[in-house]
Amino acid sequence: MRIKPCDKIRPLKKNSHRNRNFFYSLQWDFKFCGQKKVVVIFLLLFFVMSNEVTFAQQETIYMSVRSTRQTRLHASDNPLIGLFLSRDAGKTWEHKGWRDQIKVFYSEAGADGTIWSACGNGVLRSIDGGATWKITTGWEVTETLKVKVDPSNSEVIYAATAYGIFKSSDHGETWREKNRGLVNTFTADIVVDRRNSARLFAATEGGIYASAHRGERWALAGLKGKGIRTIVQDPKDAKIFWAGTEDDGVFRSDDRGKAWQSFNHGAPLITVYAIAVDPKNSDTIYLGTHEAGVYRSDDGGKSWQQKIAGMKNLVVHALAILPSNPKIVFAGTINGGLYRSADGGETWEFNSQEDGQVWGLSIK
Amino acid sequence: MIRFCRYWRFILIAVFSLTDIGHSQTTFVARKDRLLAVVSQEPHKDFFIITAKLGSGVDVPQALSMLDSLTRDESIGGMFYAYGLIGAYLYNRHLLPDSLHRKIRRAYRERKMVRGDTENHWVMYYTGLYLAAQTWPNEDGTQWFNGKSSAENFKEAEAWLNFWIKLTATKGQGEFDSPTYFITFVTPILILHDFAQDPVMKKKAQMMLDYLFADFAAEHLRGNYGGGHSRDYPQDIIYPLGALSTKWAWLYFGEPDFEPWSEARGQSRHRSWETVFGAVSSYRLPEIIRQIATDRSAPYVHTETKRVRNVIRFGEQKNPPVYKYTYMTSDYVLGSLHGGILQPIQQHTWDVTFVSDKPNNTLFTLHPFYSGKELAMFFPEEQKVVSDEVNRFHLVYTDPNKWNSSSPYEQTFQHKNALIVLYNIDQNAKHSHLDGFFPKTLDERVEDASGWIFCKAGKTYIAFFPLKKYEWIEEAINWRWRSHELINGVIVEIGAEADYGAFAEFKKRFQQVKVENQNFDTNLTVKYTTQDGAVIQFTYGGQRLLNGKPVDFASYKAFNGPFLQSETGSGVLKMTYKNHTRILDFNKIAIEEKTN
Repeated sequence: MRIKPCDKIRPLKKNSHRNRNFFYSLQWDFKFCGQKKVVVIFLLLFFVMSNEVTFAQQETIYMSVRSTRQTRLHASDNPLIGLFLSRDAGKTWEHKGWRDQIKVFYSEAGADGTIWSACGNGVLRSIDGGATWKITTGWEVTETLKVKVDPSNSEVIYAATAYGIFKSSDHGETWREKNRGLVNTFTADIVVDRRNSARLFAATEGGIYASAHRGERWALAGLKGKGIRTIVQDPKDAKIFWAGTEDDGVFRSDDRGKAWQSFNHGAPLITVYAIAVDPKNSDTIYLGTHEAGVYRSDDGGKSWQQKIAGMKNLVVHALAILPSNPKIVFAGTINGGLYRSADGGETWEFNSQEDGQVWGLSIK
Repeated sequence: MIRFCRYWRFILIAVFSLTDIGHSQTTFVARKDRLLAVVSQEPHKDFFIITAKLGSGVDVPQALSMLDSLTRDESIGGMFYAYGLIGAYLYNRHLLPDSLHRKIRRAYRERKMVRGDTENHWVMYYTGLYLAAQTWPNEDGTQWFNGKSSAENFKEAEAWLNFWIKLTATKGQGEFDSPTYFITFVTPILILHDFAQDPVMKKKAQMMLDYLFADFAAEHLRGNYGGGHSRDYPQDIIYPLGALSTKWAWLYFGEPDFEPWSEARGQSRHRSWETVFGAVSSYRLPEIIRQIATDRSAPYVHTETKRVRNVIRFGEQKNPPVYKYTYMTSDYVLGSLHGGILQPIQQHTWDVTFVSDKPNNTLFTLHPFYSGKELAMFFPEEQKVVSDEVNRFHLVYTDPNKWNSSSPYEQTFQHKNALIVLYNIDQNAKHSHLDGFFPKTLDERVEDASGWIFCKAGKTYIAFFPLKKYEWIEEAINWRWRSHELINGVIVEIGAEADYGAFAEFKKRFQQVKVENQNFDTNLTVKYTTQDGAVIQFTYGGQRLLNGKPVDFASYKAFNGPFLQSETGSGVLKMTYKNHTRILDFNKIAIEEKTN
């Protein structure tokens, strides 16, 4: 068997800016029969697996800072507000985007790498990692509180706003109101069922609403009359959903959102702004609350313990768990900045954004 | 000769009218020139001072340097910058060097200009964006701060401006009749009027200016913006002539009779000079509006229907109506909103403002209220944190001693110069007291054994009847009337020297008056007969009866008075002064003026 290495390393077709998955193949001109394909496949597999590890290490945290006590009103230079990115588990942060008072509430990245920000002024989009931005919405869309990308189709974006749900099917180029059936249009959150992207849940001021038709029609799914602050889908068991409320604590559904039960055992009926579920252990759930800090359950919500050691600010509006290491948890507070725990919430350490309002956190 | 004799009357009327108009325009010209002369000497750096300097040829190099500096100054931004910069640019571009042209263009690429979250913010932002996109057309999104192309920006701005103009003409403003925010509507619309190339938009801007000034004119008294207000700052509430609208009244109406920036008479809260854009604008106030603003020879009732700012939650309607009642005389104006939460944070529900050469020429009561839920009706932030947030910027929102506030527990019923204000305060309200502002500049303040409190302010007489016990707290410039009863109210009737003669006679007439408020604590009803014999009966949360007949707010028009008429939803505003009319038809985008 003669092995004659070829010095050509050619990238396959490089995908558009919307797809960051670049695949390369090494082509070696081996002068033996039958093993060429095996080698190529082996090398491809090796590369993909090593990149999976690389991708995991390149988890990006998106922190949306709505305001800070140090903000100058109507100034264009407010470097302490807006969107911040970290690619090293919160060790360092990079500011991206607007510095004027655009009121960034929440940001996340789609599978194609596009970054979306829900802001007071509408939905902002960046297709170059945050270097440049476009406000994709017009005057009809304002006070946008959450933006979610359809996990099965990066072209489809949903915005939860003070005036209801808006949807784009063309990557933000155009937007349409989707409020048919919503009684209370004020919507604080929206979730796309990752198992069936036609199914959505909206967190309104009058209960949880569900759509089975990609937002075309909505119907009350539960918790009628309650102010819903957040809805989260269990990252392992897609049937399970959690909801945080304004005055009634936390609720859980085990049947894809058809029925909801109060799951406040051991926790007071407090305002729950944020919920995060351990991506590797659905029994571990964190709650971000108003003036009670973080609660954690280790038994699927059957009981809760307050976990606030080291926290000086107990208004927790955002939570995020690092998928590669779920012991690392981030808690964004209102006017107290960002806290980080490296031990699953047992202890917290101030991380960044002194006096800041960390309104939203997401990790991709 | 025979033809002349036949038409001599008409010729004389025309001559006098033209003379009057001519005189009025001459004095406007004199005032605007005076304003420019004063402002061009100001040392500070803002778009209006720069425009005054450049327009007057004063300190031109310094003005250009100031403008250059503002293109880089990051301490200001947002919507104020968006329209202020393009306005200064368009008024002065023939004087600017090429480098400054480029820097200003670059500012709209690099400076992030936020749109904001209020009606006045959006007017400023979209006017600025419209004119900037018009000025620099055919450029792609890389050349704009928001990533949109010139065409996209122009289209969006045009669409919203059209929407707002139509909404205002049919349902009224949400930020209506604000002595402060008047300037943030008028100033950008002036530059829209001057520089919009689309003749339809230009015409709409002209009509909106007429509309805004006419709205002010009907409630204007010697420089004061009377009546209830959607938004008012505490320092302007207790000193009406210190409000920013006073400068506009001086420039366009010719009142007050002193220059409102003079420290001796006015206490200008800002030395802000948006009026410069009025001075350099080609817009001229129609004479009929000036006449409406200044002729106070006969008292009149003027009512309006406005709208509440967008209610995003905890409300039945997105824009419930606001009913305004104003009674205007040559000595005072008594005005009120019907009550409840009609605007967050800065609502001013009622007052009597009187003509005076002393400061603090007003008197009113309020319930200082605050709650996260009130704010959450209008703002999307979490209701448990938003109060603190608002307090950071407005400083007094949670203050028990504040002078501006809406309250869900306050309702009013006004008939001409008489007003009943009733309160039914929830025991869980954060503040459970009422306050009243009685300025120390009153000539007299007398507590009478009859229960009335009589006040004299120049030629204006005030009879104030508290329904419950109260106390006085002396403060620097005022006496604070305070009552701690949850179920409460006051009756106010205003008179003038011209009606009663001596103050003593005024007092005597009221001393005989009996207020029927038996069982007020249980039936929340007050019945009062005014000096001219009208019987007003008011039940908190219930009916308002005038001479036994219910008053139906639903019958209120957009504007209804001797000077302004508009049916709600019609989009047509008719102004009448003697035999002149001016009709703004926002459906046809047409102005019709005639003399009968």
